[in-house]
Amino acid sequence: MSDFPSTKFDRGKIFAKTGLKVGTNYAKHYLKSLASGNGDKTALHKQTAEEVFSEFTKLRGTALKIAQSFSIDQGFLPDEFAEVMTKAQYSVPPINRSLVRSIIKKELGNYPEQLFKSFDTQAIAAASIGQVHRATLKDGTEVAVKIQYPGVRDTISSDIALAKTLLKRIVSDPDTIEDYIEEVKQTLIVETDYILEGKSMERFHERFASQTVATPRWIEEYSTERVLTMTYLEGQHLNEFLKSDPSDEEKSRYGQLMWDFFHNQIKAVTDEILEFHADTHPGNFLLTDDGKLGVIDYGCVKTFPEDFFYKYLMLLPTHLNRDEEAILKLYEELGVLKGDPETEPREKQFYDFALNYGFTFALPYLEDSFDFGDSEYRDLIRRYTKNAPITNEPRGNKHFIYSTRVHLGLYHFLMKLGARIETEKSREIVEEVLQSRQSIFAEK
Amino acid sequence: MKNETRLKIKISEAATNRYLSNTRFTIQSLADSLDMSAKDIFDLFPNRRSILDYFYESRMILYKDSLSTLEDYHEFSLSEKLNHLFLTLLDSFEEHREFTLVTYKEMVALDRRRNAFRRLFKEELKKIFNDDPQITRSSCIIQNELLWKSILLQFHGLIAFWANDSSRMRENSMALADKWSSFIEEIFYTKIIDKGFDLGKYLWMNSSLSKCMTSDNFNVPSLCGRDQKYQEKKNE
Repeated sequence: MSDFPSTKFDRGKIFAKTGLKVGTNYAKHYLKSLASGNGDKTALHKQTAEEVFSEFTKLRGTALKIAQSFSIDQGFLPDEFAEVMTKAQYSVPPINRSLVRSIIKKELGNYPEQLFKSFDTQAIAAASIGQVHRATLKDGTEVAVKIQYPGVRDTISSDIALAKTLLKRIVSDPDTIEDYIEEVKQTLIVETDYILEGKSMERFHERFASQTVATPRWIEEYSTERVLTMTYLEGQHLNEFLKSDPSDEEKSRYGQLMWDFFHNQIKAVTDEILEFHADTHPGNFLLTDDGKLGVIDYGCVKTFPEDFFYKYLMLLPTHLNRDEEAILKLYEELGVLKGDPETEPREKQFYDFALNYGFTFALPYLEDSFDFGDSEYRDLIRRYTKNAPITNEPRGNKHFIYSTRVHLGLYHFLMKLGARIETEKSREIVEEVLQSRQSIFAEK
Repeated sequence: MKNETRLKIKISEAATNRYLSNTRFTIQSLADSLDMSAKDIFDLFPNRRSILDYFYESRMILYKDSLSTLEDYHEFSLSEKLNHLFLTLLDSFEEHREFTLVTYKEMVALDRRRNAFRRLFKEELKKIFNDDPQITRSSCIIQNELLWKSILLQFHGLIAFWANDSSRMRENSMALADKWSSFIEEIFYTKIIDKGFDLGKYLWMNSSLSKCMTSDNFNVPSLCGRDQKYQEKKNE
């Protein structure tokens, strides 16, 4: 069985462009209704939205994490907001040297100068809820020590409560956002537990450490809920790599490692493992000195429910086949549509936009290789995300939050890299997974 | 650190444990618990209260000792130095938390005598501020006893917060200490004091009061009747 069509990529792009017009028209219509404020009760007033985003950014570290969770750092927001959200100043303040020392004493039982052979008091990387220091253990092992800013967990709970209040001002039915907010809150709280992250790191090491993927090892005896010690991986992050002026082959090789890592996670679904690295942010990956993909952050690891994941994956072949009957059924089951698009104009707008965006998203799987450096494709994706209906009516299963983050993050990474990817094998993986689950879900 | 100081610290820390089981413990019982004679203790301390007082004084001694282990302490900013002071003391109190909770208010915060801990704390503050190269020049006008007292008061507040802090590993107290010291640094590193001083000086130099007091304008108008008489006599 093959759910994938054999049509050409150029033909696909024509579909995608047609769809974009629908999306643009919808976005224009929508923005017009925002600006006019013509009494439409469900319309989001632009000024209110601006005020809400302005308040939202004051939440600093948590705001950044929430923004990342909803993928609005991936091009969904207008530029002025996106810039604000990604500015480093919205991370928590850096942890100063005295505090680092005291946190380590509290967490690990002694000061760093007594615990480690050497400890660099200057952080080598900053994250939204902590920072990373380089150190050497007494046995000479080079390590990275991730330290969390004190009180972050409490801050997340109170900031999420505040964010919920702000978001409720802009949605038509405040009750509909509860599920989404709760999903983000639980994920962020889990992210503050470095013991869980250490365990995830070890599981991913078991699953993926190979000739092509490098993962750090968790050093449990030097780790607590707030301090995470792991072996140090040397390598270049995406920006550093691009600055080194790599050849097209090098870029494609790096991109292929990313693509394969993502699809090998999908492959594991056939073994009933639905755990995914759910934070496809360039800062979480590096190209190691020996040419491997280094995966260095395991704070956001998600296990998706099997039925959701099966349906999510089914979106790929159904869109490429433009099997509208199957797509409609999936949209309804995944909560994208709330009514019949044949009879309800608002649902029709949603349907048209999602259908064409979904098709554009599935394009890389159309043929045996795909060029993410294709400026036309990049422009399409950019315009689709930019024109996505900013709705005051949340849609879709709550698990879309992180599945989108993973998938969209991967695409943005590869587009920034300008990599040409061999997709034949990954298409086979998706087909294999769908086939293996098909019998189960057909019975249901 | 001298051996005698080490011994005094050991005695005072043991005394805190004795105090918790019996507030009126005897020097003999303390000596027994340390496997030494009462005379040895009396050679170092005149009475029980002085031993307990020394516990607090010794926290500052231990803090100063910790500075020698930090290679880059001289590079610390004002906030980092203050934070180091606050957090090292908190770490030290944490090891004797129960005793600190019971006695800090009486033996440090409200002690009416010349308290050694308070004196050393303020001396350290003076040193931190005096040695900091980044503090704005005009801020020296507010570096006085009032500032040291207010920071000490703030530290008492931090201890009160820490006493009621039920967060994991008392991390909320650490965060508060950090935020306090960052706030102080912001005040002393910002140019607002320099600029305010410049503005004040300018306004003063251009005020009529100032003009009255400069030599060029000494005669108009004179505020002193004797000067006026002198001028009239001279004109004659």
